[in-house]
Amino acid sequence: MPSVTYTQPDGSQQTLEVKEGTTLMRAAVSNGIDGIIGECGGQAMCATCHVYVRPEYADALPGMSDDEDEMLDCATAERLDRSRLACQIRIDAELAEIVVDIPPAQL
Amino acid sequence: MTTQAPQCPFHGKSRTGIDARLEDNLSPYQPPPASPDGAGYPTADWVDVAALTADPYPTYARLQAESPVAWVPQLNRFLVTSYDGCHAIEQDQEIFSANVSGATMTRAIGSRPMLRKDDPEHSVDRAPVNPVLRPKSINEVWGPVFERNAETYLDRMAEVGSGETDLNRDYAAPLASRNLIDLLGLKDVSVEQVRRWSHDFIAGMGNVLDDQSIWDRCDTSTKEADRLLKELIPYYRQNPDASMVSAWANSGLPASNVAANVKLTISGGMNEPQHMVTNMVWALSQNPEQRAQVLADPSLWAAVFDEAVRWQSPIGMYPRQTTRETVLEGVRIPAGAGIGVVVAAANRDAAHFGRSAPAFDIHRPKRPHLAFGSGVHLCAGHWTAKTSIGQIAVPKAYQRFPGLRLDETRSESWDGWVFRGLTSLPVTWN
Repeated sequence: MPSVTYTQPDGSQQTLEVKEGTTLMRAAVSNGIDGIIGECGGQAMCATCHVYVRPEYADALPGMSDDEDEMLDCATAERLDRSRLACQIRIDAELAEIVVDIPPAQL
Repeated sequence: MTTQAPQCPFHGKSRTGIDARLEDNLSPYQPPPASPDGAGYPTADWVDVAALTADPYPTYARLQAESPVAWVPQLNRFLVTSYDGCHAIEQDQEIFSANVSGATMTRAIGSRPMLRKDDPEHSVDRAPVNPVLRPKSINEVWGPVFERNAETYLDRMAEVGSGETDLNRDYAAPLASRNLIDLLGLKDVSVEQVRRWSHDFIAGMGNVLDDQSIWDRCDTSTKEADRLLKELIPYYRQNPDASMVSAWANSGLPASNVAANVKLTISGGMNEPQHMVTNMVWALSQNPEQRAQVLADPSLWAAVFDEAVRWQSPIGMYPRQTTRETVLEGVRIPAGAGIGVVVAAANRDAAHFGRSAPAFDIHRPKRPHLAFGSGVHLCAGHWTAKTSIGQIAVPKAYQRFPGLRLDETRSESWDGWVFRGLTSLPVTWN
């Protein structure tokens, strides 16, 4: 099964086995991963599921929509080149494994 | 004074005690029998609806302490008052459906709006207006409109005068209506007319007693709104702009969906921004140290808004219905049960916000709250509210009238629990 590894700001890591079709936000919220809120349920309306994707996985990511781009500008933590909304990244055959860093704040 | 007696538009339940009890006889859902061996769900038969309406927070505190998921016979539903319980409900629309029994909402506004749909049906209605309501559009397109409207009604306050102004009547209410008219893109309507529509739709949605005079009022307003939309939808198809009606008109949705959701927005987009204006001023008047801090440092306005909406949440409760038997926070809930998601209580849950939860504190550690809901039904207007009220309406009022505060020679009044807000807020600034 595909796996997602979430890295907390203190460096600790949790790895989840995730079904294909699940988003990084949904997997985190359903499994109680701290630091990912996902307030709007995945509509790219809130920017509370901001993550930094490790560069080695960048090529496997889906493209960024204008909506996601706009909302990332509203994220609380600093926006970096590797910033994404976890609700817009779906685990699929192209992306069987990913490691993300959770920013220090979502609110 | 409680001149307004609105009923909740989001679930068709009256918020008055008498109506709520009568409604028990009308509800299609019959509660399962209480378990004789005590192994069933907790029951809170002591809940008094009149007490909830006057001040719900003591009831919420007792429910949280005794049974945060409890069957409340008087309301014919389970009330969920813990943060974790409310949050869990919002994460699972398959078990906790927004498509609840009872058709007054549909009767009142003509067809089922997005707030009573689950995904994927819900998202088809909702997605077209999300771009209008994201921060960029709200700040760049609508911010100047909200600022102009605030100035208009600050002028009115100045005319009415310090010591005579009711902040609800003279500022919050007309401003909320004007902002909504502009954001929706309604044309040739007055602030008073749209306020009347909003009140009538709310009354119709709560008309569980089948009062014909309420249906008549509601039908009049529905006809007026539908007549306007019949012109506006084709108009915006030819002349699209940045408004919500334009976005819906050009979404490919049937006109009946557009009309239902516009009328939902008219119903629900009025009271809450209105209440947030008065909530914030009331909270700062009660907490002069924090008032001084935000007036010295305007970057704190976002925290003032966020704390005020947590502390006195304008939407206190909204409904869900179980699609199958489930267990929530250790309590077994049968299929088809009505659930009241009491976000106003969850927003003061000490297990989530700490022991200081009952206090207004703009410096409290940031934790997610549920004042706008959570999940796919997260209030579509949350950025609009944060901007139009939190960044514009209230800060501008203090800029114009730096001494703005409660007028202690006249009394303010709070009302409601499903919807809660100040029905009158006398202010002074000299």
